[in-house]
Amino acid sequence: MIIKIKQEWLLLTAFVVLALPPMQQFLEQSMVTHMLVQIPVLAIIGWMLGKKLPENWKSKITLWNRWGITGMVLAVIIMTYWMLPRVLDAAISEWHFELVKFVTVPIMGIALSLSWPLLNPIAQGVLKLEFWATFMRLGWLYLDLPDRLCANYLLSDQRILGQLLLLSGSAWAITWTLRIMFGIRIIKT
Amino acid sequence: MRTFLATVFIAITGSLILWVSTDRGRAFTVEEARRLDVRENPRSVPEWHLQNQDLETVTIQDWHEGFLVVDFIYTSCPSVCLILSSGLKSLQKDFAPELEKNNLRLLSISFDPEKDTPQRLKEHLSHFSANFKYWIAARPVSSSQKKAILDFFKVIVIPDEYGGYTHSAGYHVIDPQGRLVAIFGVEQLNELKEYLTQVLNKENDH
Repeated sequence: MIIKIKQEWLLLTAFVVLALPPMQQFLEQSMVTHMLVQIPVLAIIGWMLGKKLPENWKSKITLWNRWGITGMVLAVIIMTYWMLPRVLDAAISEWHFELVKFVTVPIMGIALSLSWPLLNPIAQGVLKLEFWATFMRLGWLYLDLPDRLCANYLLSDQRILGQLLLLSGSAWAITWTLRIMFGIRIIKT
Repeated sequence: MRTFLATVFIAITGSLILWVSTDRGRAFTVEEARRLDVRENPRSVPEWHLQNQDLETVTIQDWHEGFLVVDFIYTSCPSVCLILSSGLKSLQKDFAPELEKNNLRLLSISFDPEKDTPQRLKEHLSHFSANFKYWIAARPVSSSQKKAILDFFKVIVIPDEYGGYTHSAGYHVIDPQGRLVAIFGVEQLNELKEYLTQVLNKENDH
């Protein structure tokens, strides 16, 4: 019980730390930390919060979320929204978009954690492949584009993000291959 | 059934939100959005005071006779401003008769007023063999004016890693009524020329 409470407090603390204006500015200075640190951490906070929801809430939500379909649709829409370059720019220059980010991205995490385990294995496979493909596509796009997508970020920043996306996509592909072909589990998923 | 209804509801609402926030699928970046916005809602340019290369104070509103093409620069810029200024140079050549008839003027506004003294603005213009009668370079007289001007045009300027700036680059067209009516990207010089030919012909017919 004590450990449980502690973890929830930790999540709350992590959220508050991310929301502190100096931290916000620090992470949003660069496209890389904005997209590969701030947004993923917000999503992970949501994911862990989802695991901590009381069982009776979960079972009530499941009535509306059979096989995890509803939650996955919600998560995909929120993801797509935050991939729009102009929305990312707006989050930097307008406080209400920033607020929307701090609300919707954790919600996406919650939706994922409640829905992913319920999802049909085939659907899981398709979505995983699609997420991976998005990493590779965006990585390639960012490396290749001669113009900046976000008015608030430098082209060099966009290129670094592209490289990192390709790198992490490749790492992901390698761990998968190891698992499928040789049964080696590097991460438990 | 409940899952189906909830999914349909979220899918429709979500798609609508995505549709609206991309201006019906037409603008995915801030740059596309600002170009689209001025095309659909021309905005009157407020009265700002600028200091030109001859130390005279000018305002955009002084110029009512014809069209005005504005670009944003800083004179120590190594890249995109040079392309923009070559673009204006090419306009100066191609639209010489219109410039003589006072139907068109060119204006380069510096967003680095601390470094870009009138002297440097003059040198910048000379590099591009500008005729000072038709093409002027100017800087905002105060930092609040600078902010107001950049905000109005929605030009975002960020420092780059070499001590210079990266900024929204484009040609901004102001019509004789003093409204910002179109923005063309650096790569759209030909479209800008076509547009100007068209509107200037219309203006001549009146």
